[in-house]
Amino acid sequence: MVIRRLAAMLGVLALLLAACSSDGGASATAGESQGGTSSQPAESATGSTDCTVGVSWNNFQQPRWAAADQPNIKQTVEDGGGTYIDADANLSNEQQLTDVDNLIGQGATVLILLAQDQNAILPAVQKAADNGIPVIAYDRLIEDPSTLYITFNNVGVGEAEASAVMEAVPEGNYVLIKGDPGDPNASTFLPQGWDDAGLKDAVDAGTITILNGPEAGTGTWPDDYGTYTDAWDTATAQANMEAIIDKANADGVTIDAILAENDSTALGVVAALEAKSYGFPPLSGQDGDPANLNNVALGKQYVDVWKNANELGRAAGQAALALCQGTAMDQVAIDIDPSVAPTDGNSPVDFDTPGGVTVKSLILQPTPLTAEDLDVVMDAGWYATKDDICAGVKDGDPGFDDCQ
Amino acid sequence: MADAVDTASASTRTSGSAWSRLRGIIGATEVDLRLFGMLVALALILLGFNLLTDGKFFRPVNMVTLAVQATSVAILATGMVLVIVARNIDLSVGSVVGLVAMTYATLMTDWLPNIFGMGPDFPLRWLIALAIGIGLGAAIGAFQGFIIAYIGVPSFVVTLGGLLSIRGAIWYFSNGAAVTGLDPAFRLLGGGGRGSIGGSLTWVLGALGCLAVVALLWNGRRQRRRFGFPVRPMWAEIAYAAVACGLIMGLAWFANGNYLAPGLATEYASENGITEPAGGLKISAGFPVPTVLLIGVTVVMTWMSTRRRFGRYVYAYGGNPDAAELVGINTRLTILKTFVLMGVLAALSGAVVAARLNGATLDIGNSYELFVIAAAVVGGTSFIGGTGTIPGAVLGAFVMASLSYGLSFMGVNSPGQNVVAGIVLILAVAFDAWTRKRAAK
Repeated sequence: MVIRRLAAMLGVLALLLAACSSDGGASATAGESQGGTSSQPAESATGSTDCTVGVSWNNFQQPRWAAADQPNIKQTVEDGGGTYIDADANLSNEQQLTDVDNLIGQGATVLILLAQDQNAILPAVQKAADNGIPVIAYDRLIEDPSTLYITFNNVGVGEAEASAVMEAVPEGNYVLIKGDPGDPNASTFLPQGWDDAGLKDAVDAGTITILNGPEAGTGTWPDDYGTYTDAWDTATAQANMEAIIDKANADGVTIDAILAENDSTALGVVAALEAKSYGFPPLSGQDGDPANLNNVALGKQYVDVWKNANELGRAAGQAALALCQGTAMDQVAIDIDPSVAPTDGNSPVDFDTPGGVTVKSLILQPTPLTAEDLDVVMDAGWYATKDDICAGVKDGDPGFDDCQ
Repeated sequence: MADAVDTASASTRTSGSAWSRLRGIIGATEVDLRLFGMLVALALILLGFNLLTDGKFFRPVNMVTLAVQATSVAILATGMVLVIVARNIDLSVGSVVGLVAMTYATLMTDWLPNIFGMGPDFPLRWLIALAIGIGLGAAIGAFQGFIIAYIGVPSFVVTLGGLLSIRGAIWYFSNGAAVTGLDPAFRLLGGGGRGSIGGSLTWVLGALGCLAVVALLWNGRRQRRRFGFPVRPMWAEIAYAAVACGLIMGLAWFANGNYLAPGLATEYASENGITEPAGGLKISAGFPVPTVLLIGVTVVMTWMSTRRRFGRYVYAYGGNPDAAELVGINTRLTILKTFVLMGVLAALSGAVVAARLNGATLDIGNSYELFVIAAAVVGGTSFIGGTGTIPGAVLGAFVMASLSYGLSFMGVNSPGQNVVAGIVLILAVAFDAWTRKRAAK
């Protein structure tokens, strides 16, 4: 009887879990969104014909894709005389394969793929190659040497976060708030960027102490240091941060700076700091989310590393048009805002993937935004408007000047 | 209660007369053994963390954080008990919490000022938002409850659909971006720096609780006399009252050991024209507002489930649906009401979460249904129906929250926390099944 009841319980739980994991796929949101704000014409060198650029999105539910990337790719392609078509796989690997088939069927001559999974997408890449269709891996790596990888420098994002915060607080007690433990960005790339900015050296030298980790030198760096946040969830980050503040208070130490890997976790950190009336030590984030840019203006978040997805979209659109006209992959030249352009020049260079493949890549530079730089994001036609960014900003707040 | 009496009297295998005498004494006080066991388990968990952190854990300021973190799930668990007792389940609670939280945030930052012209200074704007949220929660609950009770679709299916579609609706409604910037008055619901009721009110609340316990005992004794039921021995009554009062006042005293943050104390001093002493001002913060809300919800829900006709119908239906139907209970309406109640509680819980975050994000309430069901089950609610108490579920929520808070206090990462939470859940149900089986013999 006990066994049976337990078995029933477990069955119920399994079903519940299944229900939860399919949660994200609930609402299909295929189709086009005209959320874009930018209308800067792309500088296409040649007037091409017969270019159909097919884009396969993995998840339109994230606001960024519909608001920034998609309109810019579309605009660039259409201004260059091409045709834009797309489909959204809504987080499904299987759907994405079907979508790519359909895009090829509709006559796509170039594909831009935002892969749901870098390996599951490979059959689609193979099919494109069989049909002589060049593939651009957009923002997410595809482990196939035939692709052109266009993305932001994710390690560079971590570096920008840590440099900005470490410049403000060169020594003291740091808290590290990481993202989802299953995401390589959270566990590997961003911490690698922090190290590039000198975090590990400072910890080894004893000038910086990580409060939420073992004593320096006793644990594995960076895995054992910092607190992960399941699914990058804001409320989880808040609960964790509250516990960290309580622990620091109990130990009688102060928190001097906080490195949060992205904006959703940084938002939770700010909520925790407010709940504890702790004040606002320098805090990092990335994404340029409206609420976080507002916090930067209000002085609650020190730096927000912004990936200007408008320019990423333009770069991809320009590269797609060039590839369509038969330009060899390493001869492609893009023309985008110099502040985010790749440090290696405007033509693709070799990039060695973690999977041991070499792909051509264009790796754009992220833009760290502190309160003094908010005008940059306001002028760029980002989806966070000036009203969003400046909500509640008063005289004396760090962002006051830019909000005038 | 019946279970407690069973466990106390039914066992014949106990060895040693001291043990059976102890049982006799406990039996005389008619303490709910299951609840008592949970309190002991909670105390052991807190004590364990305190030992592991060299005494840094069990301090008023940390326990206040823990209480606030437990609140949103605990509020939901009080309603989930009734839903499960009536042989249903509600998987949509997390999504409803998310939707209502997003509604509060959008109302206060956009709709109220931009559509209805109610700026941030509009009087009691936060109450208007809260009322709309509660209405929305109740409406969703009524809709789901109607389909379950009157059309006869299993609650598992209806609320699973609710979980998916409401979560999707949140996305449409928010476009995926976080909405922040709530009214200061609303934010008090989430606790935080100023979100506590203060030292003196905490004492008043404690004293009221004490009086209520004595009055309840007195009244119970009178009623029993009147209907010729056996009464507890006087010493048991007095001991019971003394222990309950002691616990309540102790809790109030403990909560008053939590002081306003130094910066806030300075602000408070300058606002009230007090000169700050050299060592800094120590102003007792007392119970946080969300905890007071939770106490209120627990009292009202317990009263409804044990003293009101609606509550008794729920338990009657859960114990034997056919019998309940045959004695003329409007079972459909009763079930519909449990879901309406669940929706209202989801709106309250959503208010606490949104107030804590000072806004709403797309993922608020994700997987809450699991934590809430776990809290109810750990608190002794049975999936077979008919059994479960509201204070038990609240304690269950505190057990789960204390584990996750304690582990993050110690720096254990979330995968580790989930492992522990899962094991505790299974152990609690296994223990429950074992005691029931023993009691049945």
